[in-house]
Amino acid sequence: MYLAEVKTWDIVKKQYRYKLKSYFGVFTSLIVIQLLAILFSFNGTGSGSGSSNSIQYDFYYYTSDIILIFMMIWAFITAIIITTRAYRYDDFSFVTNRVISQVSNILFLLSSSIFAGITVYLSTNLFQILAFYFKNNYSIIVDSLTVTEFIIGMITSILYIFLFASAGYLVGILIQLHKGFLLIIPTVLFGGLILDGIGGDPRVFENVTMFFGQETSFILFICKIAIVSSLLLLASLGISNRMEVRK
Amino acid sequence: MNVVVCHELTKQYGRSKAIQNMTFRIAENKITGLIGRNGAGKTTLLKIIAGYLHHSAGDIQVFSENPFNNLKVSANTIFIDNEMSFSQGLTLKELLETAGSFYPNWNHDLALKLFDYFSFNSNQYHGNLSKGMKSTFNMIVGLAARCPLTIMDEPTSGMDSATRKDFYRALLKEYIAYPRTIILSSHLLDEVEDLLEEVLLIKSGEKCLHLSIDQLKEYAIGVRGKTVNVEKWTEKMEPISVQEIGANMSYAVIRNDRSIKELEDARQLGLEVTPVSAEDIFSYLTSKTKGGIDHVFSRG
Repeated sequence: MYLAEVKTWDIVKKQYRYKLKSYFGVFTSLIVIQLLAILFSFNGTGSGSGSSNSIQYDFYYYTSDIILIFMMIWAFITAIIITTRAYRYDDFSFVTNRVISQVSNILFLLSSSIFAGITVYLSTNLFQILAFYFKNNYSIIVDSLTVTEFIIGMITSILYIFLFASAGYLVGILIQLHKGFLLIIPTVLFGGLILDGIGGDPRVFENVTMFFGQETSFILFICKIAIVSSLLLLASLGISNRMEVRK
Repeated sequence: MNVVVCHELTKQYGRSKAIQNMTFRIAENKITGLIGRNGAGKTTLLKIIAGYLHHSAGDIQVFSENPFNNLKVSANTIFIDNEMSFSQGLTLKELLETAGSFYPNWNHDLALKLFDYFSFNSNQYHGNLSKGMKSTFNMIVGLAARCPLTIMDEPTSGMDSATRKDFYRALLKEYIAYPRTIILSSHLLDEVEDLLEEVLLIKSGEKCLHLSIDQLKEYAIGVRGKTVNVEKWTEKMEPISVQEIGANMSYAVIRNDRSIKELEDARQLGLEVTPVSAEDIFSYLTSKTKGGIDHVFSRG
């Protein structure tokens, strides 16, 4: 029987297609979480009120913040889940090697981030309309977004979601490498938060958020996310390339 | 051409060695049985060959390449065992289709025929199958993939006897129609001995014997008779096993390399010389102590 020669990229595509089909449950959870987030967003994500002479007004911001945050957490958890043993073993029942398995996982995370980012915007519209119907009739809706802002907003959401997915992926791989990370990672995260709190001088986490959040140039922001995500993912690739598949 | 070449292969888990200094070659297009007791290291060895595990020392080549993390080896090898994991999100039919898209030699027609023959329901999920059904499904994937190197790690575990017979027959027919290298591990030699061409016997992580099945069948002879006579006759030999089988009677298994004169002597001493089945040779060779299970009770 002759030996088959296969091309890496062909197998990556096949594994990616296989994952889109078989990890379908991920998208079901996405929809459930978005519905939950819509519910939480119903009171507006920010509000205020004011009055002058005879006019009294309340205003509410109906933004996608909460939905976006939920999606970021969803991406983080999804990324951890697909590094677990059951999912890893699935790949190896068919043709693959570690790099292909990882690259197809990353492609899957990227496409689900894009999907999540787009749906954040779609569901924002949905809940704004719902809010309009369920709130009282005197509402005036101001939609302040231009088309460019809309696109920039969507890309930003996608990038944030992907950043969290990459972080989750590295965390997941570390836990697969050694179960000790299951203790170490939460300890470092929460310990850091507590230390920041005790010192009264929150630096570490603030700096991390500022690094992304305070960036005013959109291009630079894209670069920052791209670089940090690729570092996280390269680290995962490097680690997993040495891991044994099945014990 | 040799498909698998191992040289001084060793695999260590912490301090314990699962595989020790194994050197062997597996030739192309042969059915080789990897036979060993529970915990002898069969599965570890097969996983190293399939590229799932990293070996600790020595050298292994599959299709002249190191199998660990190797795409060429992965594409031309299929490893079937009962821990095989398939996605929970796909039905059995979809799994067969996916497998077909990955393996270049996949025969979908055969897969579907076997699928119907073993009366699977195409809308079922792999996770909901019983143990025997899982093994059967995995076997279908293994046969239909037509990989140049097909590795099956105790493929029949959980199958009922009718399915086992069907499986061995299907394996043989497929092998004759499309010869390929098959490594079959089992701890039941008598079940697979008609199928095998070669046997690789391993004992606690080490290679014990590697010979053709015919050679193995003639590897040893048994002598039965009075304990005194058996002891006298086997004095200068190294018996593989000696058992007491009743009052002053013993049964010894020795290598089948005695001269005609020695065999004549045995007859003179009133010893009965009998052939030993491959299965018995296997259990004598791999038993950890010379006395066997009887020793445990006789000492108590």
